[in-house]
Amino acid sequence: MHPTTKKRITDAALTVLILAASFGISLLFQKFSVWEQITTLFAFSVFLISLVTDGYLYGAVSAILSVLIINHAFTYPYFDTDFSAPSSIISAIIMLVISILTSAFTTKMKEWQRVEAESEKERMRANLLRAVSHDLRTPLTTIYGASSSIVTNYDKLSDAQRMQMAKGIREDSEWLIRMVENLLSITRIDSGTVQLIKTPTVLDELIDSVILKFKKRYPDQRVELDIPDGVVFIPMDAILIEQVLLNILENAIHHAKGFTRLALKVFVIDQKAIFEIADDGCGIPAEKLDRIFLGYSDKAESTADTQSRNAGIGLSVCATIVKAHGGDITAENAKSGGAVFRFVLTTEEVSNE
Amino acid sequence: MNNNKYKILLVEDEENILNFITALLEANDYQVISAKSYANAKIMYASHVPDLVILDLGLPDKDGSTLLKEIRATELTPVIVLSARNEEREKVKLLDMGANDYVTKPFGSDELLARVRTALRNSRHSTNKGHLPGGKFAVGELTIDYDARQVFIAGEEIKLTQTEYNIVAFLSENCEKMMTYAAIIKAVWREYPSDAGIKKLQVNMANIRKKFGVRLGESSYITNELGVGYRMNGDK
Repeated sequence: MHPTTKKRITDAALTVLILAASFGISLLFQKFSVWEQITTLFAFSVFLISLVTDGYLYGAVSAILSVLIINHAFTYPYFDTDFSAPSSIISAIIMLVISILTSAFTTKMKEWQRVEAESEKERMRANLLRAVSHDLRTPLTTIYGASSSIVTNYDKLSDAQRMQMAKGIREDSEWLIRMVENLLSITRIDSGTVQLIKTPTVLDELIDSVILKFKKRYPDQRVELDIPDGVVFIPMDAILIEQVLLNILENAIHHAKGFTRLALKVFVIDQKAIFEIADDGCGIPAEKLDRIFLGYSDKAESTADTQSRNAGIGLSVCATIVKAHGGDITAENAKSGGAVFRFVLTTEEVSNE
Repeated sequence: MNNNKYKILLVEDEENILNFITALLEANDYQVISAKSYANAKIMYASHVPDLVILDLGLPDKDGSTLLKEIRATELTPVIVLSARNEEREKVKLLDMGANDYVTKPFGSDELLARVRTALRNSRHSTNKGHLPGGKFAVGELTIDYDARQVFIAGEEIKLTQTEYNIVAFLSENCEKMMTYAAIIKAVWREYPSDAGIKKLQVNMANIRKKFGVRLGESSYITNELGVGYRMNGDK
């Protein structure tokens, strides 16, 4: 079904439900002879309906219905419509005003939220672009410079020099490849407003694939694993979540100075899979902690430090991906020292044949 | 001049990529014939009858997958697809169309050479990697006795259910080739592949991993590629 049609049906159902409830309660009021509150009750239900439904229609219709119901059922003569009394006209006007004002207010709120979300996305994209174009220059300088030196001065260079340059080209291309992978992840999310394609992925297979790739890049770095037994299916875009885990692990390699152990732990509580990546390195400086997922760091401190390039981008890509999965990502310093990154995804029922 | 070299048809329209792959393959003792378009590749394929085709998908006149389809209609010549697209569905589509392997750009020289060697080995020898005379299969410490339907690791029998055995046997028969979920489900359950079927396969694979005593992230007998399928490795 089309989402707007679905929303319309829920709105109509809500309207009927709330009006029916107030009608029922009013009958009770009538039984116990507390007449005065009936009008207030319907005014409140009109307010509720205008609040939860989209647009003006449902609020206005329920305001008119409420006046008719009160007039017909709850004012003398009971169960007979009579518009001669001025009080019913007044209550009709009051209810209409309530409904229109509430609807106007909620519509504005929703619009404001949408704009806010949109500009947040724009901000992230702009930050990313700035960080990327800055960070791309360094490897491109090596690649372009080294290769053009080889081409123009081939005979003047010694074998060892040519080899060294070629190695530099390879190293910086590998770095570029990883950067491009990260950017592609973002376009995979951002391509239009298309929803992520989530496929049920076996946790074991995800971790297996991540660790294999990580080992290819860092053959000497061991990762301690703690994964639940049994088959856990998690709906996700596996390529993207793989990227998240790789980025966080790689972040530890570059930034957790002095770390000796790196651990990846996953535990499942109430349909939630919590991924935790912890190291025992230097931790995250307090002043960076709240901006670590924003996609940029202060240029003044990072320009000289080539080790830190790619840092902000990797983590901001993580945040974008996890958010697109409807999850949340956090970073903190452990009491025992070192950084802990945590993100949460929703699992499916654990199935075991 | 040695005329006993493997002949490789390289179909790629980017001059720079074509040059470096040609240099790499020639340096490793392969004979390279190249084509820069679909039309040219078709002629080259018919006149040279190569042992292997390396096929780029983004050709100027037609998508490379057309050529793959045409080759597969009549012949089993191994085809390695090169593509800049790294999406699971794309890979699955091409593997199911009959591509022997799929290499994503950018790739390193070691990676491409390894894929070329594997594809040539599997197509050229009637006994595939790991297959021994007498209905047996062996790779590393893993052995399979097809007649007795038994699987051993380091001489110790691994007790598998019928389904689990069928999966392992099917992967071993296609050793070193990535088998898509759909291909495995069709072979093992004789079912049309569905989401439920894929889950059933994944649960069985989890049990196989457990019985094989696999530790995650350590290269083992069976590699999983997320969203694509499984491959039995020829070298442990």
